[in-house]
Amino acid sequence: MTLVAYLLLVFVGAYVVAVVEEWSTSGRLRPTAPLLHGLALLARESLTPRRHDRNLFEAGPTLLLVAAVLALVALPLAPGLLPVELATGALWLNAALVYVAVALLMAGWGPDGAYAMVGGFRFVGQFIGYAMLIVMPVTAVAMRAESLATIAVVESQAPLWNVLAQPLGFVLFLVAAMAVCFLPPFDQPVAAAELAGGVFGEYTGVRLVVVRLGRLVLVLTLALSVTVLFLGGWLGPWLPPAVWSLLKTLAVVLVMLSVGRYLPRLRTDWALEWGWKLGIPLALVNILWVGVVLLVGPA
Amino acid sequence: MIQVLFVVLFGAVAIWFAYKVFTTASMMRSALALLFSMTAVGAMFLALQAEFLGVLQIMMMASEMVVMALFMIMYMMNPGGLAAMEMTHQKRLSIAVAVVAGLLAVGAALFGGWPLATEAVAAPAGQTRELGLEIMERSMLVFETAGVTILVAMIATTALAIRRPA
Repeated sequence: MTLVAYLLLVFVGAYVVAVVEEWSTSGRLRPTAPLLHGLALLARESLTPRRHDRNLFEAGPTLLLVAAVLALVALPLAPGLLPVELATGALWLNAALVYVAVALLMAGWGPDGAYAMVGGFRFVGQFIGYAMLIVMPVTAVAMRAESLATIAVVESQAPLWNVLAQPLGFVLFLVAAMAVCFLPPFDQPVAAAELAGGVFGEYTGVRLVVVRLGRLVLVLTLALSVTVLFLGGWLGPWLPPAVWSLLKTLAVVLVMLSVGRYLPRLRTDWALEWGWKLGIPLALVNILWVGVVLLVGPA
Repeated sequence: MIQVLFVVLFGAVAIWFAYKVFTTASMMRSALALLFSMTAVGAMFLALQAEFLGVLQIMMMASEMVVMALFMIMYMMNPGGLAAMEMTHQKRLSIAVAVVAGLLAVGAALFGGWPLATEAVAAPAGQTRELGLEIMERSMLVFETAGVTILVAMIATTALAIRRPA
């Protein structure tokens, strides 16, 4: 029953993300557009490149969706609304998100085409840049919660949300989350203008539906993880806990989808350079800050 | 019973992908096969109720293999790793070594007389805690030495790779 309710909410959430994404690019709010686009894509022919690697070509988009869902199931919407209660939930989130890079590498290499291949490797380059900025802020969050369980992480924020307790970690994680979802300004792997769609340029018809769905669930997953790790999850007055989770997640989705539209695209090598030379030292400062506060702060 | 079934299943998957590493003629397929073999080993840990170890294996191996694939292909005269490429050499010798090592491993597994490691499996959170205490107490010197050694190696490699004016 919990699982059904959770999946239903996730499905609705992914749909809302699709509506918001359309709104953030075109400025028009059309609640039926994703449904119509999806149906149109289902009816369209699904072309395959001439000499593609069948296993990798077919498995890539599926793995993207699977990785996003696997990361999602460790995140609670409310105290009882959590499909899988793992003692190592925060670590599991990291583990599942790595497979996004694997999925894009497979989808990029599988079609045997230059544009897709370049896009796939660009994402791996980006992955090297952002990977530590996902792991290290999560480490600091787990330090404060003294647990890797996501329920305990939310409960540890009852006195003060992590966004205020460790703002540096919040900013780093949010930026890295946008890089995971290859949202602008980190959309070099799928650069439509320059690589003709990049990683997913060769996907059409029903396969493109899987790609799009995977991407939407991924954005939802990252937004919910920002909510759970930094914005106090379901904590809030008056409204039911699950509603608070969804409202906060929606706010994060809005930020993630709209902020990048006002920034220039970030070159892969710059993303890598800033990730390592600026991001990692800042993440270390964040861990040190949290450690000091834990040791000398009020018990 | 179900636990044994899953351990055997994931073990078979691990062996199948490990076999595929050597039978494909492409760096990318080979690297990905190795990745999924390691992921299956991680799933075996999960099936054996070693939660922290399993999740860590699943995470570390994926990131390592992706980066390995990138570097492997970067240094080869094979644009994007799209061209076919023989992935083995010294076949007879390596098959012989693999068969002998495999038999030794199976022999050790069958006739090792393994003592019971623990009476009951600790709860997942307890396992993580015990591992943390082990790393920070008894085995601290070992881990610190290994960590500093790897750091020194990384700095030395970077220093060697920097191009200096002649």
